[in-house]
Amino acid sequence: MTARQPAGPPQPRPTGPVGRDPRARPHDTPEHPRAANRRQGGAFLGGAGGRLLPASVPMRWFGLAVVAHLLAWGVLGASAAGWPAWHGGLRWPLAALHLATLGTLLASAIGASLQLLPVATRQAVRWPRAAGLLWWAYVPGLALLVAGMGLARPAWLAAGALPVLAVLVAWGVLTALNLRGARGMPGVVLHGWAALAALGLLVASAAALVALWNGQLPWSRDTLRALHGLAGPFGVMGMLVLGLSAILLPMFALAAVPDDARQLRSGNLATLALALAIAAALAPAGGLLLRGAALACGAAALALHVQAMRRVLAQGMRGDLGRSGRLIRLSWAMAAATLLLGLGGVVDESRGGDGDPFGRLAATCAVAGWLGSLLFGILQRILPFLASMHAALAKRRAPTPAALTAPLPLAVHEAGHLAALALLVPAVGWRSPGWLLAASVAGGVGAAGFGVFFATMLLRLHRAAPRT
Amino acid sequence: MIGLREDQARIWQAADGVLHIDVRGLPPPQPMIRILHLLGQLRDDAALVVHHERDPVWLYPELLQLGWWAETVPGEPGEVRLRIAHMP
Repeated sequence: MTARQPAGPPQPRPTGPVGRDPRARPHDTPEHPRAANRRQGGAFLGGAGGRLLPASVPMRWFGLAVVAHLLAWGVLGASAAGWPAWHGGLRWPLAALHLATLGTLLASAIGASLQLLPVATRQAVRWPRAAGLLWWAYVPGLALLVAGMGLARPAWLAAGALPVLAVLVAWGVLTALNLRGARGMPGVVLHGWAALAALGLLVASAAALVALWNGQLPWSRDTLRALHGLAGPFGVMGMLVLGLSAILLPMFALAAVPDDARQLRSGNLATLALALAIAAALAPAGGLLLRGAALACGAAALALHVQAMRRVLAQGMRGDLGRSGRLIRLSWAMAAATLLLGLGGVVDESRGGDGDPFGRLAATCAVAGWLGSLLFGILQRILPFLASMHAALAKRRAPTPAALTAPLPLAVHEAGHLAALALLVPAVGWRSPGWLLAASVAGGVGAAGFGVFFATMLLRLHRAAPRT
Repeated sequence: MIGLREDQARIWQAADGVLHIDVRGLPPPQPMIRILHLLGQLRDDAALVVHHERDPVWLYPELLQLGWWAETVPGEPGEVRLRIAHMP
C-alpha cells in the first residue's frame, strides 16, 4: 500500500544517493572546514553538526547526575543520626541536599538544555568547546562545596562555590544567547527566560549565603534561605522542566506540541506564582496572603500544564511510555502534593503555628518527588535515544535505543525510588533517623540501579560505535 | 491524524513512483511525526524522499527502531534531502 498521492509541487530532479559520511563528526558546522569539505563531496549534513554537541558533553553531565544521585543517598544515610538536630545549617544533611540539587537535578538540566535547546529552537550550539569545558570546572567546585558544607568549613565552601557559580553564570549566558535567537516555540522560550531570571536570584542568594557563613554579610539568613529555596527548585529547575516537557513529551509520544497559547498561559501563571512567592519571602508582613496567591497561581499553572501533557500522551502515536511514563505521572502528583503541603503551611501559620512540618515535607516532595521523578522518567528515555542518535551519525548500522537500554536495572531503580519516597515522608515528618536510614537505603538501591543502566548503555554504545 | 492538519506538510509522488514529503517550515517534532506517520503507510520495498531544512537528528533513532535507514541525497541550496528506505 502506498500513501495518498496529492498533487504536489514540481517534481524534484532525480539524484544519485550519496551515503552518510562515516567520518562526519557531530560538532561539524557549516563554518567548520570539515563541513565545507563534505559539501564539496556532495554529502551535506545540513546543520546537524551545528545543533549537536559531541556526545561526551551531555553524557558527562548525565554521568555526574548518576554519581551524585548515588552519593546523595549515601551521605544522607551516613548522616541520618544528625538529622533531628539539623535546621538548615552547614553539616552533612545540607551536603546531601546539594548533591541532589546541584549534582543531580541541575547537572541533568544543564546537560539536557545544552543539547536540546539548540535543536528545539532551530539554531546552532554556541561555543561548543566552552560548553564542554564547563563540566571540568563544575565537578571539582561541587566536590569542594559539598565537602565544605559537610565538614562545616566555610572557607572550603567559598572556594567551591566560586567555580560552581561561575559555571552557572556561563551556562546562563549560553542559554540566554540561544533563547535570544530562538525561532518559534514561544512557550519554551518564556519558560527559559523565567528560569534564567531565577538563575540570577539563585546565584545571588547563594553568593550571599556563602558570604554570610564566612561572616561577611549582616543580612537575614532566613530571608536568604527562603529566596534560595524558591529560586533553585521552583525557579530554575521548575521552569526548565515545565518548558522542556513541552519539547520532550511530544518527542517521546510522537505527538504534536501543545498549542502556544496554552503553553504561554501556563508559563505566565507559573512565573507569576514564583514572583509572588519571592515577594512573600521579602515582605513578611503580607507574607501569608502573597504565599496563598502564589500557591493559587502555581496550582493553576500546574493544572494547565498537566492537562496539556496528558493530551499529548493521549494523542501521540506512542501514548504508552511505560516505566518512564509512570514516573512522569508520579511527578505531576508530587508537584500537586508540594502545593497542597505549601497550603497546609499557610493555614497552619495563619492559626499561629510555625508551619512545621509542612515546609520540610513540601521541600522533600518538590526535590525528590516532583523533580526527581520527572528527571529519571525523562533520563531513562532520552539517554538511549541520544546515544543511538550520535551512533547513527557515525555509523550506518547503529544500535537502536531499545538495544541500548536495560530494563532490569530500571525496574530496580523504579522500585527503589518509590520506596524511598514512601519512606522519606515519615522520615522528614517525624525527623526520624531510623526512617531516614531506611529511605536512604531504598534510594541508594534505586540510584545503583540507574547507575547500572547508565553504565550498560555506555558500554553497549562503545562496543557498537567506539568512536562516538 | 495525531492533531496535525494535512496541509502542514506537502506530500507528492514523483514520476519514478517515489513518494516525497516536504516538511520545511514545521517546528520540531512535527516533521518527525509526519515522516513516521507516512512511513507507517508505506510498503516494505517503498522509499520516501524527505525535503527538510535541517538534518533531522532525532529522527534517526526512530528510523533505526522501525528498521528504516536514511541517506543524504543532493538537494537545493539550504535544503537537507534524505532518502529513507528499509534496511537492506
